[in-house]
Amino acid sequence: MKLPALFLCTALFLPAQDLQEFAKKVTEFTLPNGLHFIICERHQAPVVSFHTYVNAGAVDDPSGKTGIAHMFEHMAFKGTESIGSTNWPEEKKALEAVERAYDRLDQERDKGPRASKDRVAKLDEEVKAAMDKANTYVEQNLYPRLIEENGGVGMNASTGEDFTNYFYNLPANRVELWFLLESSRFIRPVFREFYKERDVVREERRMRSESDPQGKLIEVFTSTALQAHPYRRPAVGWSSDIENLRLSDAEAFFNKYYVPGNITISIVGDVKAAEMKRMAEKYFGPIAKKPLPSPVVTVEPPQEGPKQALLEAVSQPIEFIGYKRPDQYDKDDAVFEVISRLLSGGRTALLYKDLVRDKKLALAAGADATFPGGKYPGLFLFYLMPAMGKSLDENEKAFYAVLDRLRKDPIDAASLKRVKTKARGTLIRQLDSNSGLAQYLANGYANYGDWRRIFTDVDDIEKVTAADVQRVANQYFNEANRTSAWLVAPKAAPKSAAALEGAAK
Amino acid sequence: MKTTLLLIASCVLMQAQSYRDLKYPPLPEIKIPKIDTVALPNGMQVLLLENHELPTIRGVALVRTGNLFDPAAKIGLATITGSLIRSGGAKGKTGDQLDEELEDISASVEANIGESSGTVSFNALKGNADEVLAVFRNVLTSPEFGDDRLQLLKTQALSGISRRNDEPQGIASREFAALIYGKDNSYGWDSEYATIDSITRADVEAFYKRYFFPANTLIAVTGDFSTPEMKSKIEGLFAGWTVTQEKVPPFPAVRRKASPGTFLITKTDVTQTTFTIGQLGGTFDDKDYPALQVMADILGGGFRSRLFSTVRTKLGYAYNINADWGANYDHAGLFQISGSTKSASTTDAIRVAKREVDRMRTEEVTAAELDTAKQSVLNSFVFSFDTPGKTLNRLLQYKYYGYPDDFLFRYQKAVAAVTRADILRVAKVHIDPASLAVLAVGNPKEFAEPLTKLGSPVQEIDIAIPEPKAAQAQASGATLQAGRELLQRVQQASGGAAKLAQVKDLSQNIETQVDPSSGGLKALQSNRWAAPGLFRQDATYPFGKVSVFFDGTGGWMKTPQGEAPLPEAQRNQLAGELFRSYIPLLLSDQATNRKVNLVSPGVMEISDDRGNSVRLSVDMKTGLPSKEEFQAGPTTIAQEFTAFQPVEGLQLPSAVTIYQGGKKFALVTVKDTRINSGLTADQLKQKP
Repeated sequence: MKLPALFLCTALFLPAQDLQEFAKKVTEFTLPNGLHFIICERHQAPVVSFHTYVNAGAVDDPSGKTGIAHMFEHMAFKGTESIGSTNWPEEKKALEAVERAYDRLDQERDKGPRASKDRVAKLDEEVKAAMDKANTYVEQNLYPRLIEENGGVGMNASTGEDFTNYFYNLPANRVELWFLLESSRFIRPVFREFYKERDVVREERRMRSESDPQGKLIEVFTSTALQAHPYRRPAVGWSSDIENLRLSDAEAFFNKYYVPGNITISIVGDVKAAEMKRMAEKYFGPIAKKPLPSPVVTVEPPQEGPKQALLEAVSQPIEFIGYKRPDQYDKDDAVFEVISRLLSGGRTALLYKDLVRDKKLALAAGADATFPGGKYPGLFLFYLMPAMGKSLDENEKAFYAVLDRLRKDPIDAASLKRVKTKARGTLIRQLDSNSGLAQYLANGYANYGDWRRIFTDVDDIEKVTAADVQRVANQYFNEANRTSAWLVAPKAAPKSAAALEGAAK
Repeated sequence: MKTTLLLIASCVLMQAQSYRDLKYPPLPEIKIPKIDTVALPNGMQVLLLENHELPTIRGVALVRTGNLFDPAAKIGLATITGSLIRSGGAKGKTGDQLDEELEDISASVEANIGESSGTVSFNALKGNADEVLAVFRNVLTSPEFGDDRLQLLKTQALSGISRRNDEPQGIASREFAALIYGKDNSYGWDSEYATIDSITRADVEAFYKRYFFPANTLIAVTGDFSTPEMKSKIEGLFAGWTVTQEKVPPFPAVRRKASPGTFLITKTDVTQTTFTIGQLGGTFDDKDYPALQVMADILGGGFRSRLFSTVRTKLGYAYNINADWGANYDHAGLFQISGSTKSASTTDAIRVAKREVDRMRTEEVTAAELDTAKQSVLNSFVFSFDTPGKTLNRLLQYKYYGYPDDFLFRYQKAVAAVTRADILRVAKVHIDPASLAVLAVGNPKEFAEPLTKLGSPVQEIDIAIPEPKAAQAQASGATLQAGRELLQRVQQASGGAAKLAQVKDLSQNIETQVDPSSGGLKALQSNRWAAPGLFRQDATYPFGKVSVFFDGTGGWMKTPQGEAPLPEAQRNQLAGELFRSYIPLLLSDQATNRKVNLVSPGVMEISDDRGNSVRLSVDMKTGLPSKEEFQAGPTTIAQEFTAFQPVEGLQLPSAVTIYQGGKKFALVTVKDTRINSGLTADQLKQKP
């Protein structure tokens, strides 16, 4: 292993050198309430990227309330008492009236078969009227508008199984606006227009999961592979759960998970660390310290035999295959990463070379080492998209043969070295963008307790041996540990699709 | 609510400050890096920009080409050429070898041909820059188009077509472009199984040769290098690249054709309708572009826009709703409002969105809206300069499309000057409510109101993918045998194979009368054909005389406007004509590179190894050909043969009726025919 590392010196920095050089630009501090900041000074241009990483995601959604972490993410753009309201005292009363009306409606509906239809309809009208009233006090979308009109770009947020993040970029002279806006939405958010936004989220689900065959298949696959752990649920939530979410659910989620010790913020760009610290203390200091939420306790029971699912959809065939794997803190995490890079990504990847290039069986075939999240044990995911006229059967057969070779023969030195070299090259290129860096630094600290993870990750990959790859492939890529989900055209599909399906079987 | 109140109580007295009280220091002046421009002796222009932040070097060659130049019969050729330039290997190295060599040093070289430009790019770590630059040069100047990778690209393209109706957003954007630009030209058409099938290595090579030459190439390099050193490196690398070609013509013009109305694509496996409303947009250099951009921004440009506020926030109808004044550098883009909403609210969501478009045309925007939109553009201006790479790339684009270097600054100034009256004016001038097209992809059974409620009849669009011709006609030993037998029957009925084989040249004077529905043009043509494959046509049209000569690979064309080598589109068309020349077609069973396959009783498919294919139907009573059918791009052409007459012992048709896409297009009448008059290549080549 010494030799390749020496060879690399000539072409690349050693990560240790990179890290030392890079660390000079980084300052980090934790406020007394537990909120952690990472500041990276880059003075190339008068712009700044902000990234807020909240250590809570869909995996933390309470049962029956899937989608609430994501729903809160949407509410975090709705403003505060002073941003987005034309008359807060009146709006507050009106919002409380909506909740009371909704409580009455729920009470009646909860009677089930004994509920009065007329009364439900009447109460429904009352809810709508209360919502209309509350809306009269709303200055719509003022919060995001302030960001946009101050030159903010790349504004967005996302909710994963493990996290929720919020990010945008501002011109460097408007840094204080970010402090004001970001602190206020996590100190006193107002959940205005909650039920209309719930409709919006429902539309998001229709778009991503219900009207897209791949979206449908991934849900079927994940909920088949995992039987108990909350990773089995879609991050956007099940439709019936979304349709019944209440404002108090979002509030409860916020109070439990959006505590300062559970949040990491990184700021990268044309800033001075000392000034950032001063502003952080001013704006985020007053947030009260609160206990950290507990992690998920449910443990996925061991799998005893292969699982299969079949989804019928009007689409060309697709297959997902997954093997259970331990969480991202496992000693073999870097080995999984190396295996994923050997098999997938780039034109020298084994799956591409075999299934796509040489056998021309697949339009695409690849892998994701960590799915759907990494904080808890999950899956090593593979996907197969057959080329026209080729079947899932043919693709599977070729795919399993590639995995068999990985188990049987040690990977050749050239391929292993290539993966390691590419990992270093990727690292260097990642240092190029403020927003990318902000994300990596915050992720590293939030997930591993150290922003340096982006550098040490590459060191871990460097240590992986051919024997490691073979050992892990043998240990995890077993039939008993496997789930496969097939998407095939329905029986009554148009002729061409049906012909393909026939071929698939 | 209780918990919130408690929380708020616990953190009172936080910030007395409001966003209104914040004061911002002025932003430091934007530093624009200096870019060096070098013109090489071979005509290539090079832009260089040092950036020493990271030990990497990146660069791109921008080539004037694009899939707008795709021939109708080979849609997909530009895209495949773009990929094959890199993946098919270069200068003695296979694609596989390049893949490994580059990935071994964490570098990349990629090639691509898009709508109106082609690129070859590289990305290297500083230590390997020389190695990667050499590969970059080889890929750009000496690609080898390895056949295995061509087959892979074609397989991939065919698979892509087979999957193109799986996902509604893809359907909507593809079909909307087809609706506005028209499916009969390169702005609106798409590759089909047949057009991909017909692409050969020779096509790819010819396409590359036509466009990839130094005077047609701009290069930009940025990264950790010294400018004088990089300059001499590039000069050295490209000193030997001296090929020349005729100047590349402008891209075809966009035809302004309105497709107003409501269009529906039925997709039953969705819970949501994906819709697009729009018309033709404009170009960046239109003087009204800044005002139109602000207009579109207020209409549907972000969280603060009208569409976002009404359709998403107020009504909860959509997650995704936006408007874009589709502008391009060199041709009109698409002005489109796109969104998706649950099936039930389809019609209402479209109605509300259309109302917002109307409002733009009928009343001024508010001062606050205009101010927000302007502030957003002006305050975010700095992000156009936040990396040296962005500045370099922008300058490269401006040079490529012939825009002034300071175009962005002019734009910024123009945005600052836009008034409320301007926005109303440009909305009135550029948006025509009568020509707006509405396209919905969804399940109409679940619409709460039918789309007809929008005020016009609903036209259904069929997106079924035309089956690949080759796949329909499965060939086996038996069908090939039967095909040959049928063709031999035709030979017999036409005068015998021996007599046909004696034909060395054929001259005909014909009259073509185009159907009134297609313009009613009348032309007199003299066509001369000589074995094995020379063709000459001299035609008289109402606008003048046109002569064409083609020898199977190249030729010339003389029109009242002057003389020119045959453009690619005509070459492709004529190659098809030669393949279908009547006498050789009837002797296809004797040609080693042709297959004759019986596809149904009385119908044979004749194809060659260059992707040409025609279906010939036989009148089983007479044994004479009754019809031939072939594909010209997306259009099926059919020609009916009638009025057979004896000519020197052969039975030849003297009337041919031409149909395009099932519609009658023209009637061709043969005035006289001469066989074996001793035509020579020189005679045919001779210019009038």
